[in-house]
Amino acid sequence: MRRDTYIIIPVYNEEKVIVSVVKKVLKNFSNVVCINDGSTDSSAAEILKTEAHLVNHPVNMGQGAAIQTGIEYALQDKNIKYFVTFDADGQHSLADVEAMLKYIKEHQVDIVLGSRFLGSAQNLTGFRKFILKLAVKFSNFTTGLKLTDAHNGLRVFNRKVAENLHITMPDMAHASEIIHRIAEHNFRYKEVPVTITYTDYSKAKGQSAINAVNITFDILLQKVIKK
Amino acid sequence: MILIQIILVLAFLLLILGFLKRQGSHQLSALAKIFMMLFAAAAIFVILFPDSSNSVAHFVGVGRGADLLLYLLTMSFIFVVLSSYLARKQDQRRFAMLARQVALLEAKIRNKADDTKTTGQ
Repeated sequence: MRRDTYIIIPVYNEEKVIVSVVKKVLKNFSNVVCINDGSTDSSAAEILKTEAHLVNHPVNMGQGAAIQTGIEYALQDKNIKYFVTFDADGQHSLADVEAMLKYIKEHQVDIVLGSRFLGSAQNLTGFRKFILKLAVKFSNFTTGLKLTDAHNGLRVFNRKVAENLHITMPDMAHASEIIHRIAEHNFRYKEVPVTITYTDYSKAKGQSAINAVNITFDILLQKVIKK
Repeated sequence: MILIQIILVLAFLLLILGFLKRQGSHQLSALAKIFMMLFAAAAIFVILFPDSSNSVAHFVGVGRGADLLLYLLTMSFIFVVLSSYLARKQDQRRFAMLARQVALLEAKIRNKADDTKTTGQ
């Protein structure tokens, strides 16, 4: 049991899978918080069946907002050294989390990011792959970082990063926002290969390509306002 | 004076009156107030002397006063849309922070209730 680590799982309408995902995580980690992001199904009731902590957003605010809530919840526990963002749909592997935790403990880095393109992405279709690669190019261009995967939900980071992320992008644009924070604060980062299992369930819930346009627009706009 | 001029001038005067009445609750900067008054004065002037807009248009190299008006209107429309978009984003951000605090508080209360339950047994 790892007591110095908090697993943060944003949840939106995942009643079918959330219990099995949480139970698997709870086998290795005692601190798990699920942020129910205003689900319209019985996700909250399902989470309460488990030993995981539950934080209920009063309304749906987006995955980025849910992760920020989870971070702030976990930060209240002063014993926590490492924070893990983990998807609720079961596409991430716990073996990868363990490997990433091992890496952050043994190396001088602040944040470890999962990458689908260093590892093996199972069942990733051509078009999705193309969109994701394009997003990476754009992200590297605007931040100066060298990453292979800009939108991977699996991340492990220390307290310093947790206290400084301040995610404000409500929707999927938070992934780019996190990368911008890394560049802004000069956090030491490392990408490690992870295996993502794209099940039919996770694919059906995945973001559409058109959403990439919305995200890009918001990111660009934020850059314009800041400078 | 033709009817439309009377209607437009009256409308602008009402607008200014409403604006001045609201001043108490509006925290507008002095500069914005002066700008608004100047704008209203210019508008009334153009309504009473429509040809004056043509002179201004010619001065800046636009064919007709009506065209110049359209360009300015387009510009201000885009400005209003963009600034209200940014204001909405700002509101969303503040709303998220508020809702987050509500969520965290509720979780804290639930955790407390759970604690007393277990110690009570």
